[in-house]
Amino acid sequence: MAPSLLHPPSQLSPGDALQLSQQAPSVLQNSASTTSSSPFNALLSNPETADQWVQHENLLLSCLRTGDEVAANRCLEKLLARFSEDNERVMALRGLVKEAEAQNNGELEKVLHEYDQILSNNNTNIPITKRRIALLRSMGRLSDAVSSLVQLLDFLPTDAEAWSELADLYLLQGMYQQAIYATEEVLVLAPNAWNVHARLGEILYMAATAPGAAGGSYQKYMTEAVKRFSRSIELCDDYLRGYYGLKLVTNKLLKNTGKASGKSDEGEFTLPDTKTTERLNQLATSKLSEIIRRSTARETGWRGYDELEVEAARKLLSEEASAASGIER
Amino acid sequence: MTWISKSITALGGLLLAHACYSAQEHTALQSFRATTATLTSSTPTTASLPIDIVIETVFATFVVLLGLVLNTRPLRPIRWNVWAGKLEREGPEGFLDNEGEVNKDYVGNPYKILEMRPGFVDIRKQRKEFADWVKRGGKVDG
Repeated sequence: MAPSLLHPPSQLSPGDALQLSQQAPSVLQNSASTTSSSPFNALLSNPETADQWVQHENLLLSCLRTGDEVAANRCLEKLLARFSEDNERVMALRGLVKEAEAQNNGELEKVLHEYDQILSNNNTNIPITKRRIALLRSMGRLSDAVSSLVQLLDFLPTDAEAWSELADLYLLQGMYQQAIYATEEVLVLAPNAWNVHARLGEILYMAATAPGAAGGSYQKYMTEAVKRFSRSIELCDDYLRGYYGLKLVTNKLLKNTGKASGKSDEGEFTLPDTKTTERLNQLATSKLSEIIRRSTARETGWRGYDELEVEAARKLLSEEASAASGIER
Repeated sequence: MTWISKSITALGGLLLAHACYSAQEHTALQSFRATTATLTSSTPTTASLPIDIVIETVFATFVVLLGLVLNTRPLRPIRWNVWAGKLEREGPEGFLDNEGEVNKDYVGNPYKILEMRPGFVDIRKQRKEFADWVKRGGKVDG
């Protein structure tokens, strides 16, 4: 499907992003060059559509990504003309363009200083706060970014995006427990988000298999991981990421059944018994193979899967098959 | 399949138009007869429509209804896991409206924004990755 300008472009592949930014000339031409406030001009020129400015913003992001700075600046000018400079979102976009065009650390420091100035005037400017945190992260100052983000969350604890970013920052630094806590906060705010359940399962699996994880916490993390992946599958039928995670975790559990300490008095953190684990593993395997088969056959109703994900699932299954046949020989 | 349902709707529309025309002609004829028969009478006689016009109107309404209902796409799922599964499995193809175009309200997975986090986009990293992709010889397909 051709990429659309209505959705934020961060998740697009580079090829799609290039296609979008090549649409820049036509989009920019269609909208009026100056938005005049006289009623006569308003009658003659194209009326504003609801999506028009969302398209401009996404086009700006795409052009910055592909390096087309001229078009990006023109988008920014149009946005500034329509929404005044004092609009918080436009201020954040302007800062974003400056960040993208900065050539060296000195210019980045200047942009940071500008953000600080804006925030000293009005420290409830959320878009600028977020941009400042993103810039700190981009410059590599992770601990500063984390402390600013924690400050933002003290002030605005219902922002799921910010909690999610905090979890990502903690994960970059290897602080698994804090990352798990932050992702659980995201789930408090969005309890039906199947992809966040899968993400938490992945973080728990990483924490369990990290070198240096103690025996008791390994059990706890693995149990939680099984639960999280199962929940993500409950929330979304045929969820490839959920089944892939479930297969990884149950494979590990089945391999290590001998090594687990076998304490059965841990309450909710007891591992599921071997029979349940095997059944979960079989379910995951059969579902994964069904998804792979139907997705590669491009059957109607199975074409929405991402190809890279399907490829990864295929590799997982074939590795297991070759390992099994290697043992039998 | 849509051409059958469209032709059924058209047929129903024709029948309805025919019934309305007949009713109009009938009442015109009746009032003409009434005025020629009783020139001095001032009370209009209310006559009822002949039964076949009534039957034709009701039948035509049902035929139009049948055509319109046959023309619509299957209903969307209301259970959360079925809807989410459809989203993941079929992508935008599963959310076409009657004309065959992607529904305007379609936003894909609404929670994807929590993983993409557009408020925190690291533009310098994205630019670097794009430049690396170009250097590796990436091209736009199609």
